[in-house]
Amino acid sequence: MAVRSGGFAGKVLRVDLSTGKIGTENTLERYAAMLGGAGIGYRVLWDEVPAGTGPFDPANKLVFAAGVLVGTSVPCNGRTTVTTIFPTCWPKPLVGSGHMGGHFAATLKYAGYDALIVEGKADRPVWLMIRDARVEIRDAGHLWGSGIRRTTLEISQEMGADCVVAAIGQAGENQAPMGMVVNSVSHSAGGVGGVMGAKNLKAVAVQGSGAVRIAGDKGEWERLIKFHLSILGGNNQHVVPSFPTPEAEYYNPASRWIGQPGKHWGAAKPPVAITGNIHDPNRIAYRTNSAAYFLGDEAWKYTIRGNGCTACPIRCHTMLKVPSVTAKYGIPDTAQNTCVALQFGRLFFERLAGRKGGEAAIEACMVGMHLADDLGLWSNYGQLQRDLRKLYEGGYLKDRLGAKEYASIPWDKYENADPAFLLDLIPRIANRQGELGEVLSRGTGAIFDHWSIPEAQWAEDRTTTYWKMGHPKHHANEDDGQCGVIINTQYNRDAQCHSHTNFVRNGLPLEVQKKLAVAIWGSPDALDAPGDYTPANVHKAKRAKWSLLRKELHDALGVCNWMGPWAASPLRERGYAGDDSLESKFLSLATGQVMDREALDRAGERIFTLHRALTIRDMGQVNMRAKHDIVPPWIFEDTSGAAPFTKGTIRMDPADIARAMDLFYAVMGWDKDTGAPGKARYAALGLADVGETLAAAKLTPEEGK
Amino acid sequence: MHTIRNSSSKWIEQAAKASGFETELTRRGFLKLSVCAISGLAMLGLGEAFGENAPLVILDNAKGCILADPTRCVGCQRCELACTEFNDGRAQPSLARIKIARAVNFGLTGPTGGDMHGDWGDGLLLQGVCRQCPHPVPCATACPQNAIKVDPQTGARVVDPAVCVGCRLCQRACPWGMLSFDEEAGVATKCFLCHGSPKCVEACPAAALRYVPWRDLTRDGSSGRPALSVVAPEKAKACLDCHLPAGTNAAK
Amino acid sequence: MSAIGADDLAQAALETVREASAATRLIAADEILERLLAGGFAEQLQTPAEADPCLWVAEVLSGLPGIASFESLSGRTVYHDPALLSRTYARILDRKDATELLLAEEIRSNSRDYPRPVPVELFEKPPFNLAPETIEAALKALSFGREFQDITAITTAAGAVYLFSNRYLERGYAVFLAEQDGSFAMNP
Repeated sequence: MAVRSGGFAGKVLRVDLSTGKIGTENTLERYAAMLGGAGIGYRVLWDEVPAGTGPFDPANKLVFAAGVLVGTSVPCNGRTTVTTIFPTCWPKPLVGSGHMGGHFAATLKYAGYDALIVEGKADRPVWLMIRDARVEIRDAGHLWGSGIRRTTLEISQEMGADCVVAAIGQAGENQAPMGMVVNSVSHSAGGVGGVMGAKNLKAVAVQGSGAVRIAGDKGEWERLIKFHLSILGGNNQHVVPSFPTPEAEYYNPASRWIGQPGKHWGAAKPPVAITGNIHDPNRIAYRTNSAAYFLGDEAWKYTIRGNGCTACPIRCHTMLKVPSVTAKYGIPDTAQNTCVALQFGRLFFERLAGRKGGEAAIEACMVGMHLADDLGLWSNYGQLQRDLRKLYEGGYLKDRLGAKEYASIPWDKYENADPAFLLDLIPRIANRQGELGEVLSRGTGAIFDHWSIPEAQWAEDRTTTYWKMGHPKHHANEDDGQCGVIINTQYNRDAQCHSHTNFVRNGLPLEVQKKLAVAIWGSPDALDAPGDYTPANVHKAKRAKWSLLRKELHDALGVCNWMGPWAASPLRERGYAGDDSLESKFLSLATGQVMDREALDRAGERIFTLHRALTIRDMGQVNMRAKHDIVPPWIFEDTSGAAPFTKGTIRMDPADIARAMDLFYAVMGWDKDTGAPGKARYAALGLADVGETLAAAKLTPEEGK
Repeated sequence: MHTIRNSSSKWIEQAAKASGFETELTRRGFLKLSVCAISGLAMLGLGEAFGENAPLVILDNAKGCILADPTRCVGCQRCELACTEFNDGRAQPSLARIKIARAVNFGLTGPTGGDMHGDWGDGLLLQGVCRQCPHPVPCATACPQNAIKVDPQTGARVVDPAVCVGCRLCQRACPWGMLSFDEEAGVATKCFLCHGSPKCVEACPAAALRYVPWRDLTRDGSSGRPALSVVAPEKAKACLDCHLPAGTNAAK
Repeated sequence: MSAIGADDLAQAALETVREASAATRLIAADEILERLLAGGFAEQLQTPAEADPCLWVAEVLSGLPGIASFESLSGRTVYHDPALLSRTYARILDRKDATELLLAEEIRSNSRDYPRPVPVELFEKPPFNLAPETIEAALKALSFGREFQDITAITTAAGAVYLFSNRYLERGYAVFLAEQDGSFAMNP
């Protein structure tokens, strides 16, 4: 594949902070089979970062990878995957990725790079300046100690208004495992900030004047882009609006497509009325309002507009303006984010956590967003907040924190759900102050280690939503039965996979979803009605596999797994079908190398399997089934005692889950007993070198038995 | 006066022929000469004013222009990408003929801190859109090669890449910084209204752009920077609306 | 009537229905007839003296592909183009002035088709736009109506009210789904 053929920028930038050496590699020579995203990340870690490397060791590497389609106008692209030895993975850090949107990935591509590999450690704080072919390591002494907002401003003054800055704040500087890197105000990759801090890397700033080429016919490309736009729904590819509308047969009050006539971006000057319909591509940006979805309708009046990643029409980062917070808390009156990060603030409060809404929740969110995104503190998908609440409400802190420190924390503000509580707590954690700040800055595993609290106290308590290895569930059986459970066993942090949940929560009637399931996974039994689960079957296992491979593929292409895959669409005229081959169609046109859906899924499987191999190697353990693919005990319980497979419970059955894992390993071609790929499987996926290394180390099933 | 008027069509035809725009004129295109110009013509002699390869004079107004509403812009850059992807076959915001990237972060005043627009400020994004300026067209006037012409279909001011030599004077001349430069081809490029169906307007997911009948958007006083105003003397001489030789009594 | 005239008539009828649907209106045969007459189709609409021209219109409409019809609450047959005005929305329009039936049928179709209970707030928002008191009164009336005994209200642990039809959903499952719906904001 010639470099100028399209999609790929062609180069991977490699920077060694220890030696100051800066060089480039040819992307396709080394990484063609891994495409991009975590694919490149896993390959670098496999080849260059030995097992046992700690996250903050200079020998650890940070791979910032864009994706093949990033920088184009493929809807819902713009994602960067940051792969490294992940610090919050407990008890032993293993391979993991953070993901961030915004403008970083696209600009990296325009600068001419598919990925950036950061190695070693600088001897003093530095930042990396990337302007097309010109790359320099610059002194960051004047930036160290500053938050992300000021860092971005000052670097932009030096580089230019259009540069994109990915920076760490105080949390990352302090090498907090819960540190994150943030670009474009609100777009953050969790867990990797501390690794940057350990390398003395304050920021990476990029400017790019180049192009991402489209190898194929530009007219065909334009038609495919427009087709993709025509099948988009609202956020998370919810394909029915939340309200009845003349253009649609279906609606779903729980849909994230909530922009409806009568609503306004109330804080725009003057306010912008929400209009649009299913067939109108010029008003897709009006469909989603994350703030209103998560915080209630009051949020519309504070909404300036939607925001988000380069080229994405969905705009799920809602920009809010809440004038009261400046006088009350001394923070800027504007902030933006989506999902958990939007709710960073209010999730700390027991009183506000359970329900939508209210002005107090909105203010808490403003304070939380500002602090978290400026100090660069991660939530671990809300686990930080759940941990704080459990530690306090469960009396752990009263018991274990010294009396002096306990008294120094404004618990009265916590009890009253006063957002000012966050002005103490969040900097405390980001700066790793005191015992509480230090422990919480390390992730959930540190709670178990530091205070000798058995993990079981979290794993048996469903209210923590704790899953395993220091991280929470992320769309497991509460959304999607066994399929969700399988997915949640596979990673070393929370799963970050939305392929499955986007589909089951898309709002279509079950009957329609089952019809679509036949077309994609071969059977209507690939999914159940929520809370009306049936025993495990091979179709669910296949759907779990599809979900995981597509997630890796999306990360490799740089498209958003919170919007894709596009299994369903709002269009009645298509029978509500989306297009399950969209990714391969775009890739083929962009690169000029035709790849069909199956071939591309194979690449996704290659990438996912390399993650498995890395996990096996770095755990020194082939028995993934017993030691890694763990589920928490709470999924096997129901508070009202309902039995599994009865209507109205998400309770799973241990024997059934074991069978689900059997089926999953079978569809993956992995050994049933260990859940590990064999040498032959690695080879079949183009990972023969990986299989041989593992076999030699007795980490493949045949040898390990 | 009347005599001149009666002969005016003859003068215009000859002027058009000499400048090579004869066919356009028959189609009621390019040239528009005022009565004053005709009187000037008569005085100066046609030959001097309209020799071979004479420079253009007054460009007809464009028929349409793109109107941008900053309150709706969501900063997605899909307009920039549509412009280059669908026209040039590559995604390249630096080449885009509608301009967003420069204003996304801090607004057009840049990273000043304090009250800013853009993502780090109040969220407002002022899109950069070519105003398809009326006469005198800064970019066209600045071009020493007369490479900026009028598209017959839309009236858009368009860089002719076959004529452009890549001197970049047009970029310096545009008060709104709307000229792009295609580094690969070595020529300037600008918004040409996509033959009447602007791709950026089609691409905007927030209805922030509209394609409307042309109106003069150059008088809002919001030019980003001082314009470089250099008019070659032979060009000025040919524009007989105003640039009459000293002492000539122009009937205004 | 010539074949050409018949086609023109059918086309005009189709367009009349489509126009109404695009304006989010249901249209009955008598209004269609009026429009067709105004459109100069009197000749094609001639019928024997006692025959009702509306029946002829209805026959023409029944031959049109892509046009749906149903018996309105008013007793008349109404027509719409489902591509412009969905069946679901058409029914909501038809029941606009019959609040109790509107609520009941909407609750039933949600329980039957998805299946799920609906939050009571649904009816405060467009296109229902009912005041909370109106909704409350309607629900009360439903609880007394013999034909509405299937309509059931439940309250989640968080205090949110959901409505379902026990004809299609069991109470236990409805409770689960209501709790789940309330949990989605906390399950990003």
